[in-house]
Amino acid sequence: MTAAEPTARAGRRRGLTFPGLLLTPGVALLAVLSVLPFLALVAMSLSRVRLLGGVRLEWVGLDNWVRVLTDVDMWWSWVRTGAYLVLTLGIEMVLGLAVALALHRVLRGRGILLSLVLLPMFVAPVIVGLLGRYLTDSTFGLYAWFLQQLGWEGDVLGSPGTAFAAVVLMDVWEWTPLITLIALAGLTSVNPSLLEAAALDGAGYWAGLRHVVLPSISGILLVALLIRAMDAVRYYDIISVTTNGGPADATKTIPIRLFENAFRFFDLGYAAAIGLMMLLLTIAIARAFVRLLGTRGIS
Amino acid sequence: MTAPALAPGTRDDSARAPAAPGGARAALHGRSTGSRVAVAVVLAATLLWTLVPLVWMVLGSFKSQADVTSAVPRLVFAPTFENYRNLFTGANDLTPYLWHSVVAAVVSALLSVVVGTLAGYGLSRSVMRHKDRLSFWIISTRMAPIAAVILPLFLMFRVAGLIDTLPGLVLAYMTFNLPFAIWLMSAFFSEVPPSIEESALVAGCTRWQAFRHVILPLSKAGLVTTFVLCLVFSWNDYAFATVFAGPDSQTLPIAASQLVTQTGIDWGQLTAIGTIVVLPMVVAGLAVRRWLVTGLTLGAVTGE
Repeated sequence: MTAAEPTARAGRRRGLTFPGLLLTPGVALLAVLSVLPFLALVAMSLSRVRLLGGVRLEWVGLDNWVRVLTDVDMWWSWVRTGAYLVLTLGIEMVLGLAVALALHRVLRGRGILLSLVLLPMFVAPVIVGLLGRYLTDSTFGLYAWFLQQLGWEGDVLGSPGTAFAAVVLMDVWEWTPLITLIALAGLTSVNPSLLEAAALDGAGYWAGLRHVVLPSISGILLVALLIRAMDAVRYYDIISVTTNGGPADATKTIPIRLFENAFRFFDLGYAAAIGLMMLLLTIAIARAFVRLLGTRGIS
Repeated sequence: MTAPALAPGTRDDSARAPAAPGGARAALHGRSTGSRVAVAVVLAATLLWTLVPLVWMVLGSFKSQADVTSAVPRLVFAPTFENYRNLFTGANDLTPYLWHSVVAAVVSALLSVVVGTLAGYGLSRSVMRHKDRLSFWIISTRMAPIAAVILPLFLMFRVAGLIDTLPGLVLAYMTFNLPFAIWLMSAFFSEVPPSIEESALVAGCTRWQAFRHVILPLSKAGLVTTFVLCLVFSWNDYAFATVFAGPDSQTLPIAASQLVTQTGIDWGQLTAIGTIVVLPMVVAGLAVRRWLVTGLTLGAVTGE
């Protein structure tokens, strides 16, 4: 597969084309890393998984699925996950767009401002969570101290409502920059003469935003939303190191529940059923994403 | 910008633009005082919200035990390197964890980029019947919930004896880095017009030579961006490492989270680890800022 490929053009007629040849190792490796685990996951969801004395799967049919689907606590976790997704994505979209609009109007020094705004994206989510704990600690946290100056005393991560708000805000802190980055790329690509035309028509700022700017970047915003949605389903690090589902299950989202079932109760079959349900959800989002790319004529 | 007569001085002569508060000029590039103040306020608030936690973390890493947990926040303090020194000396020396982090992140990123570049080029240039399905499968692999991937890998790794080994961790990271690299490199290669390698072929190159000496040098930015993002994803991983890493393969994020559970929390050391984990990724990430949009949207949006 190295430079010893002088007959590549002849090879085209022999079945495997040059692109196909390059594609093969990657696809084969990916198949091992994804198809095998997928089949294993399906098998696990239909079994009781024994770990002691060698890994064994004992067939239990749909038992795990029945338990997952009839567990009221699980349904509450889905509701909580839904609320978490809607809140984080909603806040991130609004704030991200607002910051992008503001940055777009800065002509000098936009680069350095953007770099500063992007910093949270590179912070490991565990560190975001731990830093959040440090900042909200009721005895020495900086943000807790501010809240005390404003008259609010209490443990942010200790009570259900504020703990949920805190993990949402930590996600917002880390990922709003991604929306800003994508929205800004969209704004830069809007034809300036379109804006001039809107201005000459006497359109005010908000009217221009609603009728000219938003429609022209709506596709890009949708891409941002879908990517963020898939990632929000993926990650669980922040909640895991801050509240780990507590207090009183207030932040027990689906991924937290999966980890708890798998690696604390070692009920891996049950966890596998949850995992497959999560997978279905992301595949649905990914399908929308790819369809969107198709209609935009990219890829 | 092609009709300067219609739109004089809207973009660059900000200082001389006629002050027309709330007037027609206000649409998005408006220069009225009110809108300038609004922009300044939004940006100032954004910078505060973004930077305060990071600055506080870095400051904390240079504080003594008493300063880092003082009830009233201290901005003025006697800086100390004690936290960093403690991280790399004594019983819980971080050096091996740092080494594991570097090896797992760099090796998985490198392997993913090499295999992903070949496959990405193949994907972008191949003409096949179910190409869209293949693409969809690749992207859905990347986006699969980490939790759903970890469960079966845990069993497979246990059977294969890969738990608590660096090769196991590298393989685990490739479950998300490889599909990412294939997809993204394919997007970068699609930007290179096929006519370029066609002319190379006419000039007597083999397909491999055309790829290696003509297309690849044109895609340097894509290669570097893909590598950096793969590096960031695996360096920052926590979920996989909690399940697959043990004493022999512990990474920095795990070491950080373990400072929490052992006999109280040493926030001085914790902020120091945080700084060590964050700094290299910030530098690497900002180095490819121009291509970040393309990279993080998996090629769906191109910037600048």
